[in-house]
Amino acid sequence: MPKSLMIVDDSATMRKIIMRTVRMSGLEFDRTEEAGNGAEAIEKLKASPVDIVLCDINMPEMPGTEMVKQARQLPNCQNTKIIMVSTESAQDLINSVLASGANGYITKPFTPEKFQEQLAPFMS
Amino acid sequence: MIEQKTYHEIVLDAAKEVFETMIFMEIEPSDQASIDESALSMLGTITFNGDIEGCMAISLSWPCGQTIARNMLAMESNAEVSRQEVCDAVGEVANMVMGSIKSRLQDIYSNIAVSIPTVVTGRELNSTLGEDAEKVAVPVCLNEEFTAVFLLLYRRK
Repeated sequence: MPKSLMIVDDSATMRKIIMRTVRMSGLEFDRTEEAGNGAEAIEKLKASPVDIVLCDINMPEMPGTEMVKQARQLPNCQNTKIIMVSTESAQDLINSVLASGANGYITKPFTPEKFQEQLAPFMS
Repeated sequence: MIEQKTYHEIVLDAAKEVFETMIFMEIEPSDQASIDESALSMLGTITFNGDIEGCMAISLSWPCGQTIARNMLAMESNAEVSRQEVCDAVGEVANMVMGSIKSRLQDIYSNIAVSIPTVVTGRELNSTLGEDAEKVAVPVCLNEEFTAVFLLLYRRK
């Protein structure tokens, strides 16, 4: 089944690194989008929702935690799976982000296996 | 209280985790305590605040930064890499190493907030931030080719 992916990170280089790692994990997407912060991601999701979002937490303008909350208010994003990607590894924060509507959490540094493990269940 | 020797080990272990997982470069402790500051070099810095405050920095040569960026982006060893990509990659290294340090300190200092990293390039770069702070310098050798120095400057509250 064709799938679409959006990568949200304020670093264009990190977006490329994440894309490279997703490819190395063996997962394939027929459409990929990028956004430089949470606000840009919300605007793009309003116009054209995706199946899976990989989202940084610490970003200027709108952090990933706020992006998750706003995305969950969008009627066309109710089934979108949102996976956070961050250096933050405190369990309290992870629990809080998952409770606010995220579907998964990947800590940096990451491996292709981590992406495979987190994303594969949403690919069928 | 954590001894300086332990901070040294924490910084080294954090750097090893990042370089071995995402940059695919061998990293070993080095005796060389600084890089050639007269050559074009880089300083990636990230600050932290909370139960403990200070900054973590990585000091490295421009060619070392280029190699890190190429490896992170899976580029050929002779591929052209932009200045922005090199700075972003070094900033991300600082971000990930600090994240790993924070994770390793979590049991002792549960409240640590980390800033967004900044990267500067130039000659004669050195960090004088926190002259009155405790200082841990961790020189490393990368791929038996480059020297880099991780600096942890901290002050307990």
